[in-house]
Amino acid sequence: MGETIRNIFARQKWMAIAVATIVLAGLLTAVSPVFLTLSNMQSILVQSSVTAIMAIGMTFIILTAGIDISVGAILFFTSALFAQLMIDTESYLLAFSAAMACATFLGALNGVLVVKFKISPLITTLATYSIYRGAAIHLTGAQNIPVPREMGFLGNGKLAGVPVPIIIMIVIFIIGVYALTRTRFGVYTRAIGNSARSAQESNLPVNRVTIAVYAVSGFVTGIAALILLARVGGLQSGIGIGIEFTVIAAVILGGTKLTGGSGTVTGSVIGAVFLVLIDNGLNLMNASPYIYDIVRGSVLLAAVAVDRISAVRQQKAVEAQRAARIQGAAVAG
Amino acid sequence: MLKSTVASLKTYPAIPIIVALAVAFSLLSPYFMTGGNFEAMMGANAVVLIAAIGMTFVFLIGGIDLSISTVISASAVISGIVMAQTDSVPLGVLTAIVVGTGFGAVNGLLIGYFKLTPFITTMATQLIARGIAFVLSHGIAVKGTPYWVLDFGFMSWFRIPAVTIVGLVLVGLSVFALSMTTWGRQVMLVGSNPNSARYSGINVPFIEFTVYLVAGVLAGIAGFISIANLGNAIPGVGDTLLLMIIGAVVLGGTAMTGGEGSIERTVLGVMLLAILINGLNLVGIPFYDQLIIQGILIFFGTWLAMKFSGQRSQ
Repeated sequence: MGETIRNIFARQKWMAIAVATIVLAGLLTAVSPVFLTLSNMQSILVQSSVTAIMAIGMTFIILTAGIDISVGAILFFTSALFAQLMIDTESYLLAFSAAMACATFLGALNGVLVVKFKISPLITTLATYSIYRGAAIHLTGAQNIPVPREMGFLGNGKLAGVPVPIIIMIVIFIIGVYALTRTRFGVYTRAIGNSARSAQESNLPVNRVTIAVYAVSGFVTGIAALILLARVGGLQSGIGIGIEFTVIAAVILGGTKLTGGSGTVTGSVIGAVFLVLIDNGLNLMNASPYIYDIVRGSVLLAAVAVDRISAVRQQKAVEAQRAARIQGAAVAG
Repeated sequence: MLKSTVASLKTYPAIPIIVALAVAFSLLSPYFMTGGNFEAMMGANAVVLIAAIGMTFVFLIGGIDLSISTVISASAVISGIVMAQTDSVPLGVLTAIVVGTGFGAVNGLLIGYFKLTPFITTMATQLIARGIAFVLSHGIAVKGTPYWVLDFGFMSWFRIPAVTIVGLVLVGLSVFALSMTTWGRQVMLVGSNPNSARYSGINVPFIEFTVYLVAGVLAGIAGFISIANLGNAIPGVGDTLLLMIIGAVVLGGTAMTGGEGSIERTVLGVMLLAILINGLNLVGIPFYDQLIIQGILIFFGTWLAMKFSGQRSQ
């Protein structure tokens, strides 16, 4: 029995964060009567949507053993471009398509730079982070720009009683799971993360897939940007600062390995919800908002430590099994 | 002649960019090539210099320390509070160093002995350090910096700011530690080939631990220097420094992959970014365009450094 449970945990990397999330939700229910209401559940999911959507894209990047520090800057640039174009042209169609095209392009540019120049993704995207952010402020002249009130629909509106951000998040989640588990693109993504060299040697389109992965992350970041813009009501200079670390934290909490090859989209989405639950709990306790960082950092450390301990245990079990088998063979021989 | 030039380019790929920038800016601004300007430039970059030494050690063993930036903030804030309460400068310095050492020790234990991934570990401690800085300061500058610290920030010796002298002393100690001691040789070996380091009997976890510890100590000192520079302990002081610190180290020509690089190179990398930002300010480029130029320079500078020194990848 214990063995089976352990096996399930080992195979489904997202189970651990799912259990942690349920436990935390249980604690919050016990502490606060309003927690387990439909409206609070909805608000938690709406709050998670931006991080969750970005985390889905980031999962693919991390699965290739890459990283994108610039997603916060892409988020900001897309928001800035959309808001500016709405002011200048008042055309939703134009602003929307330009923003999405641009988000995808900025992501793809990261991918191209990573592939062509062979500088580590960390340094590449740290550099583009600075470039994108500077370019966005250049574009808007460092001003806050309001967006039209109808935009609010994307952030606070409902379709058949369900908030729009949740619907968008679920759609992207389903596409993400499908792409990762049922398509060649998903298989190649994992293969690159497992070993870029053997992927190259077996003639997989490593460069194209790597660029595509960064482009996909840029695209979903663009969607997240529009939701965030709609929720906030306009462009603010602080948008996206530090969000890259929240997104990466969600992915890591979800059980995806930073070394690539192993991880799930499901885990990342639950990871994003988990982070919002923590905020929610701290909020219920009237904690200073500055404590959030401390708690998030500690939770992240605890998660990787637990993961490390279980990995060491598993390795020991495997070694013990192997030793027993060798001994058995020796006796039989 | 040509051969030795090429050889020195391999060791110090930042030099041609520094020369080009210095020439360009002295043509664009008459104020650039003045003693006063250089003095201001050196003072303004002492914090980055000290922090970048620590990051160099970490890069040399193939690690990364994202927490350096906010450990600067945390140690500045805690040291600032202690000094405001006691008015004792030595106690303030000690506090800053102790805080930095604490964070360095935690990073080092988790990465060296517990084998956690450096990126995630230091990302987590980065968040924790930032949170501590903001919680303890309530998000605003800590008041009550002793006058001696303020004076120290303005002190100069033969037109070299005192804060820079602190940085240069630390550079000297680090160069010595890296090139003249057994510890330094072990650091280089762990970075270039961890397996052969292990087989040759080097205590790899211990070396990793000490390297993150040193990075923490230096971040703590940088935190104190930031108080002298800015006049107050600012909780957000480190937030924007990460790009500068990593940028300076890679522009100098130290590889992130370990085993390749030196403290001297990082000093040049810091000079390069210092000249760039100072020059752009003198020419009147707004801060957002500076961000763009900085990003482009860090990217292509890293690429050039890689080309010159024949590293396969950063």
